[in-house]
Amino acid sequence: MALVKLALRNLARNKRRTAITFVALVAGVGAMVAIKGFMNGQRRQILENQQRGNLGALQVHRKGYVANVLASPLTLDFADSPALRATLAAVPAVVAVSPRIEFGAQLSTPDRRPPPDDGSDLPEADRGQSSFLLFTAIDPATERVVTPKRWEWVSWARGQMPRAASDAQVVLNDDFAKGIAVPLWAAGEAVPPIEQQLAVLAPDRDGSLNGVNVVMAGTLASATPNDRRVGLMPLATAQALLRMEGRVTEYGLAVAEGADLAEVKRLVEAAVGADFEVHTWEERLPFVRDIVDTQDFVFGIVSGIFLFVVLLGVVNAMLMSVLERVREIGTMLAVGMRRRQVVQLFIAEGVVLGLVGGALGALVGFAWVSWMNARGLSIPAPGAKVPSLLRPSVDAAFLARATLQATAGAALASLWPAWRASRLRPVEALAHT
Amino acid sequence: MAHLIELSGITRSYRLGMTEVVALRGVDLTIDAGEFTVVTGPSGSGKTTLLNIIGCLDRASSGRYVLDGIDVSNRDFDDLAEVRNQKIGFIFQSFNLIPVLDVAENIEFPCAVREGGESPAALRARVEALARAVGLEQYLHHKPDELSGGQRQRVAIARALITTPRLVLADEPTANLDSKTSEQIIDLMLALNRDQGVTFLFSTHDPRVVQHARRALQIRDGQMVDGALAH
Repeated sequence: MALVKLALRNLARNKRRTAITFVALVAGVGAMVAIKGFMNGQRRQILENQQRGNLGALQVHRKGYVANVLASPLTLDFADSPALRATLAAVPAVVAVSPRIEFGAQLSTPDRRPPPDDGSDLPEADRGQSSFLLFTAIDPATERVVTPKRWEWVSWARGQMPRAASDAQVVLNDDFAKGIAVPLWAAGEAVPPIEQQLAVLAPDRDGSLNGVNVVMAGTLASATPNDRRVGLMPLATAQALLRMEGRVTEYGLAVAEGADLAEVKRLVEAAVGADFEVHTWEERLPFVRDIVDTQDFVFGIVSGIFLFVVLLGVVNAMLMSVLERVREIGTMLAVGMRRRQVVQLFIAEGVVLGLVGGALGALVGFAWVSWMNARGLSIPAPGAKVPSLLRPSVDAAFLARATLQATAGAALASLWPAWRASRLRPVEALAHT
Repeated sequence: MAHLIELSGITRSYRLGMTEVVALRGVDLTIDAGEFTVVTGPSGSGKTTLLNIIGCLDRASSGRYVLDGIDVSNRDFDDLAEVRNQKIGFIFQSFNLIPVLDVAENIEFPCAVREGGESPAALRARVEALARAVGLEQYLHHKPDELSGGQRQRVAIARALITTPRLVLADEPTANLDSKTSEQIIDLMLALNRDQGVTFLFSTHDPRVVQHARRALQIRDGQMVDGALAH
């Protein structure tokens, strides 16, 4: 008779114990799947915020830009040509191309009141403040397609995004703007006089300092880690400030949903040639990759502990089963069963426990993940203040892996009890009471 | 003609804490094929130890044991398992059926643990024939807990015979049965011995079994005191 059939009947023999072991396995594997689903949802949130809120799916730069971005970011620029944009837009799965310039600048706020008539200095509290920020110059018309979440984040904070590339406006992080009391200019209001505007000072492409007066049109709610000291400026305004008319340092690309990013990157590289480099979000933001890797590592440890605790239950159940069946094992050995076959029998019982419990646990976990995916959990992404819907998800490969791990684990957990059973001496086992 | 069982100078001793217990002291014994033999003796005399050694469930501390022409004195565990499976059938006092298997599966179990061998259909036909022979053809799909004590012992007898063994060892086979059922079981084993030439060796206190035996061995203090050599 097949070992599996015998194993099934042995498991059915003590229904309560088998049920308790099953429940532990279902709960353990179900929790593993649920945690993984939650982490996948969180990862997708981070990814979406970076891709659709900061970078775009891909970025195109002049060759060597990323390696030299801190030393000479503006000298590695290139002409913003319609032909190059058309070449990029023609790559399959590329949905939009948005020109940008990234640059560092000093932002100064105006004094809160005019200087005293007696020629004395303004008190410290009334003086304007200066801060160094990292600006991204964008063309609102194209950027809205590549990073639409920026508009969402402004709607969660104050004001609005600039409408035109030539507007003398900036958008700052809301926390930062409140921190240094930057006045908000409301659309439709008269532009304040120059002395009440913000001043942005930046070295141009040749290193000469230049400045521009702007108003703060809106603020961005924090949505990604380390985004407090970043600002947005319309592209043409930035090009005038940096004396880079017609030139940019970056194209941000939007890619069709579900496209293979690595493949699109390869096609874009082929289209732009050797003078350019193409990067994914992972390459530009290695710390995000590190967060994801750390999460995966912690998950590995947590799920390992989960599985270990659950499998201790399997060891216990199998040991109890051996103790209860000593005479029966003795009989089996007496009529000619080999030690190897005794080991196989108990491992088969463990495998059935692990396979059925693991598969049920994976199904229960998947049901929870699917339900939460449809419903969505309204919680901010890590480091964000903007609530967004976290939608847990797991793929079939993970469910299969979780079931296999439970099965293999249960088989391993059965090894020791199986070995103990197989080492029984028939003459002693038969005399067992 | 060679004997089926040849024991020469068999001793068996155990350590119980600091004490050495000698259960068998130089037993010499021969049994021929087709015998219907009982081993009697008081409790602690060594008869169960003797049967365990003859059944290859235990090994002698010293001496030589030849079963059906094979010296099994120094065989390893798996070799002995094969010898038990091929040559010996066991009938236990407490029946020792496997509770999760039905009657047919219990009977076929010793053949089911063999690697390779006959087809399932041929095995099932033999199981049914044996079940008929022991009067259990109506109970093939019953579980042991649905049977009476006598029926369970019949299943055990059929299981002992399914491998067509050279020897059937029965350790107090009637101890847990009432008188009428005991008689039936003894009659069944006598018939199998007479009609099929199956060799039976019993350990028993039951005078009814002794009365039917063709040869009675007596053991006392680990030594054969009567009937050790074949007539």
